[in-house]
Amino acid sequence: MNREEESSEIPQNGIIGSIHLQSESSDEPIVDLTDKIHQLPCCIKYNGPCSVSHYFKPKQTGVDVEGLSVEEACFRGRKLQGTKITLPQGYSGFVLGKKKIAGKRKAKGAPEENSNHWEMRASFQSINYWNHDDVPSQSDSFYRCLHWLPVADALHKPVSASDLMRASSLFGVKMD
Amino acid sequence: MGSEAPSSLPEWASEPCMMGIDEAGRGPVLGPMVYGCLYCSISYKDTLSSLKFADSKTLKEEKREELFENLKSNVLIGWAVDIIDPRELSAKMLKKTKINLNEISHESASGLVAKVLDMGVLLTEVYVDTVGDPEKYRMKLSERYPSVKFVVAKKADSLYPVVSGASIVAKVTRDQAVHNWVLDETAENMHKNFGSGYPGDPTTKAWLDDHKHSVFGFPTLVRFSWGTCTPYFKKLVEVLWESDEIDEEGSSSGNRRQLKLNSVGITGYKRKSEEIQSSGKGRCKFFETRKLEQLTRF
Repeated sequence: MNREEESSEIPQNGIIGSIHLQSESSDEPIVDLTDKIHQLPCCIKYNGPCSVSHYFKPKQTGVDVEGLSVEEACFRGRKLQGTKITLPQGYSGFVLGKKKIAGKRKAKGAPEENSNHWEMRASFQSINYWNHDDVPSQSDSFYRCLHWLPVADALHKPVSASDLMRASSLFGVKMD
Repeated sequence: MGSEAPSSLPEWASEPCMMGIDEAGRGPVLGPMVYGCLYCSISYKDTLSSLKFADSKTLKEEKREELFENLKSNVLIGWAVDIIDPRELSAKMLKKTKINLNEISHESASGLVAKVLDMGVLLTEVYVDTVGDPEKYRMKLSERYPSVKFVVAKKADSLYPVVSGASIVAKVTRDQAVHNWVLDETAENMHKNFGSGYPGDPTTKAWLDDHKHSVFGFPTLVRFSWGTCTPYFKKLVEVLWESDEIDEEGSSSGNRRQLKLNSVGITGYKRKSEEIQSSGKGRCKFFETRKLEQLTRF
């Protein structure tokens, strides 16, 4: 799921980059990677396909910690303990790739490798995240990242008239 | 741990007993390490000496197996083993706070003593082949089990028949465990010609060459913490761990700097080479504690 490519910062019509969450070539069905996304506590300096399922064999431990069901696996000799996070309703995870540009080159502009235009290659509804040695916990920063979602929701949700009414009645402000 | 001690304690176990402890598979780069023990009443000592248990390394494989079968069927002898899985060896030796092999060995031997005592065997003398400094090892064991007299010695397996017996228990168990090993990995073209597992064995070397994997390293049968693996890892895909520390170049004061992790996995956008995790630094506390960073470029 890693892409290691340099992106250009040349604005095109003021747009620095774009992300398309629908594959342009709609004849290919969207690849669903639910249960296949693993967040490891290390950096693997490799991008590309790999026979993960033949080597990486997580096992359920049957142990629950703070309501998280703990799984075990190993990677490069290290013991990993992790858990599956199902993304909240209304959210999805996406694997992005550099947008393939029809034709060899765009009429005028940067070659494909230098563009900052992305498209969706796969989507997923869960992430397995893994700690080295430590059991997963609700206080893990990765787990806590999800807290941002309801906060962002509250901050960016459009305010309706009734919300305003309720808020103003709380503070005793008269509405005209 | 496994053993085939009878479920009901034999009568002789309530007489003062002696026990020997030895290990097999400490050196090999693959497979489990096995701790074995053999115990009997002290009054059986002379008979035991006549059973011709020599140090297991000096015996042929068939002879060892034969002796193991004999001692298993001998009702005047008890035995037990602790099989330490290579996954456990690797994991412990590569923990954030590393546990060295001597410590793992000591804990295993100590566990066997505890196990046999818990069964109700009246252990009074225990002979142990040493790992590390014999006197420190003896103190450690004596403190834990004050009722037992410990003799910790180099080459105990050739000095005390009860330890020779334990070495046969351990060695045969280790050989069988490797022989019957079922590889976790399901990749094609894997085979089981492991050889002895010793780093110098050409068959073992060939097996390592045949089973190395650029990303995963090796099957989990291999002890990743062994020095033998290091030259292989240098040629494979580099993997950086949060727990790895790198020496500051040219620092003689032993200054170490924790590897900074930056965007582990999620995006591969190249930043400073050692930064492999996002930090959320400079943002408000909510983001900082969650290591959430704003990203405008991938």
